[in-house]
Amino acid sequence: MAKKNFKVVNQPVKKLDALPLALGKPLFVADFKPADALYAKLLWSPHAHAIIKSIDISAAEKMPGVHCVLYHGNVPRIAHTTAGQGFPEPSPYDTFMFDRKVRYVGDRVAAVAAETPEIAEAAVKAIKVEYERLEPVLSIEAALKEGSPVIHDEPEARAVIPVPYEPKKNIAARVGMDVGNVEQAMAGAPYKLDNSYYIHMAQHCPIEPHVTMAHVNAEGRLVIRTSTQVPFHARRIAAQTMDIPVQQVRVIKPRIGGGFGAKQEVLLEDVVGMLAWRSRRPVLLMYTREEEFVSSRTRHPERIRVRLAADPEGTLTAVGLDCISNTGAYGAHALTVVCNSGSKVLPLYRAPNVHFTGTAVYTNLPVGGAYRGYGATQAAFAVESAVDELAEQIGVDPLVLRSNHHIRSGETSPVFAALGEGKAGVEQAIGSCGLDKCIRLGAKAIGWKKRGDWRKKKGRYRRGIGMCCLMQGSSIPEIDMGAASLKMNEDGSFNLLMGATDLGTGSDTVLAQIAAEAIGTTSDKILVYSSDTDMTPFDVGAYASSTTYLTGNAVLDAGLKIKKQILGVAAEMMEKKPADLEIRDAQVFARDGSGSVTFQDVALHSLYAANQFQIAAISSHISHKSPPPFAAHFAEVEVDTETGLIRVVKYVAATDCGTAIHPKLAEGQVEGAVMNGICYALTEQYLFNSAGRMLNDSFLHYKIYSMRDKPEMVTILVPTYEKTGPFGAKSVSEIGINGPCPAIANAIYNAVGVRLREAPFTPEKIWRGLQQHNA
Amino acid sequence: MKITDFKIPTRLDEALAALRDLGPAALPVAGATSLVFIPEDQPMTAVDLNRLGLDGIRRDGDAFRIGAATRVAALQKRHEPGWVLDRVALTLSSQQIRNESTLGGNICRVFPWSDFPAALLALGAGLVIRGAQEKEMTADEFFSSQPARLFRGGDLLTHIRVPAVGAGAGFGYKKVRQTATGFSLATAAACLQLDGGGIRSARAALSAAVPFPARCAAVEAALAGKKASEGLLREAALNGLSGLKFKEAEGMSAEYIGRLAAVTLGDALVEAWAQAKEQAS
Ligand SMILES: Cc1cc2nc3c(=O)[nH]c(=O)nc-3n(C[C@H](O)[C@H](O)[C@H](O)COP(=O)(O)OP(=O)(O)OC[C@H]3O[C@@H](n4cnc5c(N)ncnc54)[C@H](O)[C@@H]3O)c2cc1C
Repeated sequence: MAKKNFKVVNQPVKKLDALPLALGKPLFVADFKPADALYAKLLWSPHAHAIIKSIDISAAEKMPGVHCVLYHGNVPRIAHTTAGQGFPEPSPYDTFMFDRKVRYVGDRVAAVAAETPEIAEAAVKAIKVEYERLEPVLSIEAALKEGSPVIHDEPEARAVIPVPYEPKKNIAARVGMDVGNVEQAMAGAPYKLDNSYYIHMAQHCPIEPHVTMAHVNAEGRLVIRTSTQVPFHARRIAAQTMDIPVQQVRVIKPRIGGGFGAKQEVLLEDVVGMLAWRSRRPVLLMYTREEEFVSSRTRHPERIRVRLAADPEGTLTAVGLDCISNTGAYGAHALTVVCNSGSKVLPLYRAPNVHFTGTAVYTNLPVGGAYRGYGATQAAFAVESAVDELAEQIGVDPLVLRSNHHIRSGETSPVFAALGEGKAGVEQAIGSCGLDKCIRLGAKAIGWKKRGDWRKKKGRYRRGIGMCCLMQGSSIPEIDMGAASLKMNEDGSFNLLMGATDLGTGSDTVLAQIAAEAIGTTSDKILVYSSDTDMTPFDVGAYASSTTYLTGNAVLDAGLKIKKQILGVAAEMMEKKPADLEIRDAQVFARDGSGSVTFQDVALHSLYAANQFQIAAISSHISHKSPPPFAAHFAEVEVDTETGLIRVVKYVAATDCGTAIHPKLAEGQVEGAVMNGICYALTEQYLFNSAGRMLNDSFLHYKIYSMRDKPEMVTILVPTYEKTGPFGAKSVSEIGINGPCPAIANAIYNAVGVRLREAPFTPEKIWRGLQQHNA
Repeated sequence: MKITDFKIPTRLDEALAALRDLGPAALPVAGATSLVFIPEDQPMTAVDLNRLGLDGIRRDGDAFRIGAATRVAALQKRHEPGWVLDRVALTLSSQQIRNESTLGGNICRVFPWSDFPAALLALGAGLVIRGAQEKEMTADEFFSSQPARLFRGGDLLTHIRVPAVGAGAGFGYKKVRQTATGFSLATAAACLQLDGGGIRSARAALSAAVPFPARCAAVEAALAGKKASEGLLREAALNGLSGLKFKEAEGMSAEYIGRLAAVTLGDALVEAWAQAKEQAS
């Protein structure tokens, strides 16, 4: 396969949905609301930990305009997980549509469907609940204390794959690995550190909160239109939870306003489906922003211990990582997020001794879930901070330390084989790796050479530069599957049907480019229809940085099959052998120059003229490896030493994502992830009162960046060619969010000598660090 | 806020009459941007203040006369000698909010994040209120507690008189926030009147960091009559706020916010001093 001379791939073609989105056409779930739809509202727990002693829905049920009220007493009690993952899921079954116990402020208590939002709201208020309050568990430390209240004491709570699960100890998951002996390596090492870091909870803040609409169609089947990243998992989990056959459910994902992992959760589909099923009316449920903050999903906070050791030459000899994550009230993604803290970070540096443990604990706080970066974000902060600290101890430039130790093309890491998703991992050798070049180009763009020691800096405002290196994966090997089907139309256009889920990333466009390149046409000739469980082939959905790499390979394969069929028909038409023909620009040419036919000619021939058949193909792909994209990030910050106020002056992200199928969209992924990461590092945080209630559940008080806050940003794509990826592609969408926390922490240190090991880096923390210096 | 009816008077007396008739069920609205902050409960009738001729800025001797319904964006876009409110307007939230919010709306009901009260306190503005008659009060009186108290009987703020910052005088304004459109962590405003190298008078005010916008009397006292220097100004701010109570904010302690307010006020004083020197007569 040619590596270069792409015609469609690696070009910034028009995004397929750009125009209708820009014109505000009806494309989103709520746009499709039929006139007779009911509005759903949920009743939330006001307590962090309580037993529902009694609940009286009679007043609500009697209210005019109320069609259905659901609570634990009138729905099936089926333990499941909301995590949309491969089946059987690695997340524990610890969640019910409604339960007799509530486990965090914002847990579901009851649901109402009514003629208007106002009636639904009033009905929710009319539900009388008597709670018996239990002691809430509000931190990792409290959860692990001997004799701590047990959050999941229900008998049904269980793991459905053979992994450690100890709910009686508030432990939702455990994982670990050892290579060599880190303790021993530490004992004799001249350079070593053993530090603890904390990284905080945050929300995805998709511009469109969770929204689901369901109706029962004329045939009696349940049709769910929903803002999801995982339509097929949503179908399976909704059917499971409602106790109806999968066959009865169709899930459709229209355009969605972002997900970032929050919509890898099946949060509303079950209850909206049930309301529609019972009321036989269409039902719409839209989360408010407050609900999105509290009753959706968050990034798992983690407390992380890092141990590093180096020999007298400064060569890294041991890396130890112990991560304890706070999964909140339910174990959604508990195992896999904390496992990724090891598997997506530890392989980056070569060391003979490696140690990892991951533990996820239950607390009575909002629930952790999938969030862009998925555990790697958390551990990258700790490890990349520690690498800088070790470099200072050794007396070596942290850039040089990283350059000397990072994994390279052709090398492998024992971590790949040891850590999988709920089972052993998959051994793999690194294919393409452009990290060296990322470091080089990034360092040049930020001006690394002019970086000085903080001890020599003077004046009130001091600048500093920090960096970090990153890796992620591309799909979950030997687990994830994506499929695509292609058929040719009589004008030479093609329908591309895929389960793959475009959550705003542009994957529909990227996959159309791959199809067009494979077939030999342009992307505007590819009509994409995706994410409909009745109409499109299966796909696990949009997560684990998989779509381009995984579904892209299925599309490529289907495209090549189509190409073969086209050549076959053209050969018949032109009385040549297929081998004597070639495709260029949607035409088939005889290599000897004796003639050509257009795709339209071929299609018409195949459908109407002779030996008719539908030119069509379907292909599936599973990945056998998860090739990491790599990145080097650099941040320059300015700190006001009087107040600790901090400003990011410039940010450079150099990324190796293999071939960027759509360079503009790839840059957009990097820039979006970096902006997301910068405000995560500096301004985003959940504030709780002592009873576990979130205090800042709106954009007025939960601070995310807007374009006005964007620092100077340089995005560099370093092209490499990943042989196992479609046209050389790897992933790009998650990796970028992992950089800002460590790069900024390292830059703050370089500016003023304050080492922050607890994120976010608020001005107060920096100021207090400066005070300690002065003392 | 639940608006169930809407009145659109076109004359001031008509508006005042409507407000008196409706009593507590009436809500005067100018930009109406504050409605999102007021929890929905009682049904209210909105009385529109946008067609009463209450907008516009006019130079009036040594002062500017600003109609209460003048948009913050209009303050932002005005540039002329003596005019300083453009600096305050520019950092208030986003352009969309500035296009809608009015100066009167920003000060008649003070929110913890309202930006203009500190500036008007430091500038020594006058506030003109119309009920049965017209009365003018000082910013100190107006902001002595929540100004909404003044309008319960159906009176209206009609305009604001803001002294021009003239010869030998300077104005400083600093606002600290974590994101470009975020609420302030500390807002400080200062006015200095120089007399040769000395400070004839100083006015300083804080908001956001403190429970309610307030003058900083000890800071002002420490400056009046002294020879100006950057050291003096910063020291006065650092030492002169010990009597004030500060609020915790955005996960940061009251102690830290107090420190931030003191530094920010120092910065505002230094900025005021720089302008005063520039305008030295
Ligand atoms: C998202 C957002 C962020 C914001 N951030 C900030 C910020 O950071 N800093 C800041 O300073 N402001 C900020 N604002 C604006 C501020 O909160 C107020 O909403 C705004 O200043 C009110 O102006 P208005 O003209 O819209 O007043 P309205 O909402 O129309 O009225 C406000 C109040 O004043 C009364 N009122 C109005 N005019 C008169 C009058 N002439 N006489 C008597 N009573 C009157 C009304 O009855 C009402 O009670 C923000 C607003 C929003 C929506």
